[in-house]
Order: sequence, then structure tokens, then C-alpha cells
Amino acid sequence: MPGCRHGIRGPESEVFMTILTRLEQWKEESKISPEQHDHLAGLSRGEPFSLFLELNVLLYAGVLAFVAGLGWTVSTWSQQLGDIVVLTVLSTILGACTWYCFSRAPAWSPAETPAPSPIFDYVLYLGSLVWLVELAYLENRFHLLSGKLDPYLLATAGLFFFLAYRFDNRFVLSLGLSSLAGWFGLTISHWSGHQDATYRQCALLYCLLVGGGGALLDRRGLKPHFFGTYLNIVANVLFWAVLSGVFERQGYGLWFFALLVACAASLAWGLARRQFAFVAYAAVYGYVGVSSMFLRGVTDETVVLSYFVVTGVATLVVLVQIGRRFGRPA
Amino acid sequence: MRLYSASSEETLRARKLLTDWVGEGFLTTAQYQLLEKETVSDLRTTNIFLRLVLFLFTLISVGAAVALFFKVFLSRPSDQTVGVFLLIFTTVCYTAAEVAVSQARLYRYGVEEALAVCSVGFLCAGMQAALFGGRPYSSTPDAAQSLVPAAGAAFSLWIWLRFGRSYAFLAAMVFVVFLPGYWTSSHSAQHLMVAAFYAIGLVGMVVVRSRHRFDYLDEGYSLVEALLWLGIYAAINLKLSSLDMPTPWWSGTRAASEFARPIYWTTWVLIWCLPPIVLARGIRKKDRFVIAVGAIVAVLTFVTNKPYLGWPRHTWDPMLLGILLSGVALFIRRWLARGPGGIRHGFTAVRLSGKDKHWMNAGSAMLGLVSPHSITPGPQTSSPDVRFGGGHSGGGGASGEF
Repeated sequence: MPGCRHGIRGPESEVFMTILTRLEQWKEESKISPEQHDHLAGLSRGEPFSLFLELNVLLYAGVLAFVAGLGWTVSTWSQQLGDIVVLTVLSTILGACTWYCFSRAPAWSPAETPAPSPIFDYVLYLGSLVWLVELAYLENRFHLLSGKLDPYLLATAGLFFFLAYRFDNRFVLSLGLSSLAGWFGLTISHWSGHQDATYRQCALLYCLLVGGGGALLDRRGLKPHFFGTYLNIVANVLFWAVLSGVFERQGYGLWFFALLVACAASLAWGLARRQFAFVAYAAVYGYVGVSSMFLRGVTDETVVLSYFVVTGVATLVVLVQIGRRFGRPA
Repeated sequence: MRLYSASSEETLRARKLLTDWVGEGFLTTAQYQLLEKETVSDLRTTNIFLRLVLFLFTLISVGAAVALFFKVFLSRPSDQTVGVFLLIFTTVCYTAAEVAVSQARLYRYGVEEALAVCSVGFLCAGMQAALFGGRPYSSTPDAAQSLVPAAGAAFSLWIWLRFGRSYAFLAAMVFVVFLPGYWTSSHSAQHLMVAAFYAIGLVGMVVVRSRHRFDYLDEGYSLVEALLWLGIYAAINLKLSSLDMPTPWWSGTRAASEFARPIYWTTWVLIWCLPPIVLARGIRKKDRFVIAVGAIVAVLTFVTNKPYLGWPRHTWDPMLLGILLSGVALFIRRWLARGPGGIRHGFTAVRLSGKDKHWMNAGSAMLGLVSPHSITPGPQTSSPDVRFGGGHSGGGGASGEF
């Protein structure tokens, strides 16, 4: 074993090379420069030790806790505080966040843009959440749109999409997608007729709109790094919608066909792009849908259990083959 | 004891580090391609998504196969018979897991992990059915029945040692939680026993870890130590682990009635002492998981302090906590940034690993979807009481009422 002279003894008294001994060896063999060695050895020893992730999580938790407390306080004490005080406080925070973001933001670029300061993303997120609290307060106190929340949600979704693309922020993009889904759901709830079928159609429309929009923006080169977020949300909403159709008692054939098409597309996309989340979606959602079809009306427990044994093992074999051919550690 | 050789695991670790470093530009692509050839491991791995799906389908297959066996071959079996067969399946599953590793060289592949998990589940179910099946329920503690969680804990520990999966250690910790309930009905004693078990584990871990500071075992040991710290904290914080937790959270009137006063107030002192100790150890050892647990228990101490003291909670408490958290994060960031080269005492706020960016991107997209529901305010009632609610249809809180 090359480099065993640098090796250390492991728990089973087996000699092995740590990353530090490997780096030393690579430096001696001139595969890395002495500067690279020093830097990489330092990183391996945690010198310096980066607190980047921890500080970001702390900031996120701080913003979330603050807005939760703000919403809680406003909802509990609004009558005692009065509209003017509540709206002044909320508007001041919102205004400060808006001013900070627009005054600090760099020139817009269609490519991925780093935040101008470490707290920038969180100030934008704070402003977006405070906007939601203020909007809810305004409507519920003054009934500006007579309790119709649809326009609010649509306008809010539009605003969040604009902010997400202007400031390159995934937090706000997710808020926009969430608000748009809320608008679809709320609009449908006003319609009469068969609710489940309508919601399903609505979910498909949402997928079409978001997926199509995301693909179009990706093709145009507008923040192409957002495309993954669009695709993951669309895939999950689409599979849920199609599966709910497969579970229907009547007219499920078309939905089952749609499920197979969606699974094939998800699998092909996942394998072609090495995005194995989509392979997982195809396997899990597909298995649930196919199982519900095959076991429809089957009451014999032996048949049901045999089905799960056979199909479970078959799926395992297929997945292992996929893993062998395509799967690399993520 | 461990199924995998140290050199195989260390090689895998080196390969991951190389991938990270080339992504950050610390190595050139040519260097990476050259060094990659020297970090070829005999272990078969897969990515996280396939691993999860393989785990799920292995569970489905094994569970269905065992159920089918009972359905086909045993009609109306006694509890003892079921127990004996479950113990046989324990052996079958565990052997299959060992073979999957030793022959197929599977490493974090999902299949061998699910088999090992099934073996723990079958062991506990089998022992319960074989030894205690058919016994009438009794509210008084029965020490003999502690054999089941004890065996579960011991076997989980073995799985952890053998396969190196930290969640097996977590399972052992969960089994330990159930042990004192069979020995005593005193809640105070139960809390103390669990804390004592974890403390013993922690001492052992601290001793063992010191020999593996920079090798492949360090990360796993770090996670286990962090879990133990968290477990000790959860055991001593009576407002966190007590079953009637919601009452003091909302009313703030319930105090130390369930626990003896000395124990109650001792634990209150301890929940304030533990966070700085954990944080200090994490920072001294530059241990990411321990630092994270230190921060978590510090926040939990702030959150549970008022219920401990019997003080009423206020609606603005989360705001103060949010300001505190953000303020601490900003202060540390600025303080570190002002150091020479952005480094102070070996710490920096700068991102040094591609993994951090990956986690940030995935987390921001996911949390952005979830957070509006969790912060949505509800309607005001006639009295300024505490109330959560609202958050309809993912509308980011715009559908809440005031």
C-alpha cells in the first residue's frame, strides 16, 4: 500500500491513511503545490472553521421568530393598540426593509447574483413576511375587497415573483409559488360542481403555468438556477393531482395513463440530468398508483401480500440496476 | 467489530473531500482527475435519493414477506409462536444485512440499512410476543418487561458499531427512554435515570473520540456526542419532556407540583448551565454538530424558562427571541469579519465548502414554502389570550383573520 509509512492505526489496528497523510504524500509527489497542501490540510483540520451555515440558520430562525411574534402580537392586541399604531409599526418595518433592499441591490443580471451583503436575503425575507401580515390585517380590518382574498393572493404572488427575480432570492420565490398555489385553491373553492375533480384540474393548470413559465424563463436564461425549484414543486403537485385521479372509483383509466406518462417523463429527466430526486418521485408515486390499480377490489390478504413481496423485490432490482448504471453519490 | 475496513471508509471520505475542493476551486480539474484515481474504494455507494427509495422498498418487501409467511404457514398462532418466528426473522434479516455488506460491499445503500432496521424491529416485537404476550396490562412497573427495550437498545448499539449508522445510536437512545418506566413510577427518578444513562454514554464517547480527531470516524462520533448532549438536556428539562407540556406553555400557572421541589429547581439551574458548557466544548473542539446542539439547547432554555418559573408567556416573546437570535448572528459575523483575513481564533464567517451552499439552496426553497403557514396569525378574541391559527391554502398568511 503506497504511503503506508504515513499511515495510522485504526480501531481494528488496521493501518490506513488519513486525508492529512494523503495530502502530505500528494505534496511530496508534486501532485499538489505546497500552498495547496497548507490550505487543504488546514481545511481538513478545521483551520479556519467556517460558521457560515450556522450563522445563516440563526438569522433565518431569528427572522421567522420575529415575524411569528409580530403576527401573534398584532392578532392578539390589535383592538388595544389601535389601527394606527399597528399599521404604522408594520409599514415602518416594511418601508425600512424595502429601502434597504432597493438601496443596496446591485444592478440586475439574468445570471445568478450573489447577495450584496450577508444579511440582504434575510431583510428581503423579513419584508416579504411583514407584507403578508400587513395585508392580512388590512383586509380583515377594513374589508377593502369585501373579504375576497383571491386578488390579494394573485397580486402578492406577482409581487414575490418580481422580488425573487429582481434580488435573486429563493426564499421569496418559494413564497411566490406558495401564494400562487393559494390563489388557485381559493379561486376554485368559489366554483360549484365536483370539488375534487375541479381541484385536480386546477392543480394541473398550476403545474402547466408554473412548469411552462419556469421552462420559458430557463430557456431565456433568466435566473436559470431557479428552474430546479420550479421543477420539484411542479413534479410533486402533478403527481399528487394525477394520483388523486387514479384513486377515483370511476373514470380513472385516463388518470392512470397520465400517471404512467408522468413517471416515464420524470424517470427520463432524472436519469438524463442525473437528478435522482425525479427517479425517486417516479418510483414512489408510480408504485403507489400502479399498486392501487392492481389491488383495486382485491380482498384476499394472501394475494395482496404476495403482490407487495413480488413487486417490492422487482422494484428493488430495477432500482439497484439504475443505481449501478447511473447513480453516483450525491 | 466494524464491517467496513478503515482504509475503505477513509478513501471514500477523501474522495468526497476532493469533490468538494474542486467545486470550490481549491484544486484544478486536472489535479482532481489525477487524485481521483488514487481514491477508488471497493465499497458500492449511491446517491441520497436512491438510498431513501431503496430503503423504503426493502422495508415494504421484508414486511410483506414476513406477513405473508404468517398468513400462509400459521393459522391462529399463539403469541409465543409468533414471537419465536419473529426472532428467527431477526436472524434472517441481520444475516442478510451482513451478507449485503460483506459480499455486495454495500455502503449507505439503503438495502442493508433497511435490513438492519427490520432486524431491530423484529427482535423487539419477537421478544415482546414470546416473553410477555398475552399478559394483562398492568399500570404498575414490571422490571422484567424492561428486557425488551434493553435488548432493543443493546442491539441498536451493536448495529451502530457494526454498520456505523448514527441513527442506530439514536434508536438506542430512544429505547433507553422507555427503560426507567419499567423500574419506577417516579417521574423524577425516570428523568434522572435517563440523564444518567446518556451521561455515561457521553463520557465514553468523549474518551473514544479523542483518538479519532482527524479520521473518518470523527464525523459520526461528533453526531453521536451531539445527540447525547441533546438527550441529556431533553431529560433534565422537565418542561420539555413532561407530557403535560402544553398547559404551562399557554397558561404559565402550573409549577413544580409533579416533581419534588429540589429536583425541579436543580433541573432549572442545569438547563441554564448546560448550553454554555455544550457551546464551549463545541467551539473548543470546532465541532459543528455539538455547536448546533449548543445553540438549540440555548434557544430551548429561553423558550422554556417562563413555564419553568410559572410566569405567563407574552405574545411578543418570539419577537424578542428573534431579535436576540438575529443580533447574535450579526454580532458574530461582524466580529469575525473584522479579524485579520476575516478569521478570529480559527473561526470565519466565510463559506469554505460547497456543501454549505447546497444546503442553503435546498433549505431556502423548502423553508420558503413552509414558513408562511407557521407564522400566520389568528383572530383576536375578546381577551388578550394566546391563540394560533389561520394560514389557509398556502396563501402566505393573507387569509388569516384579525
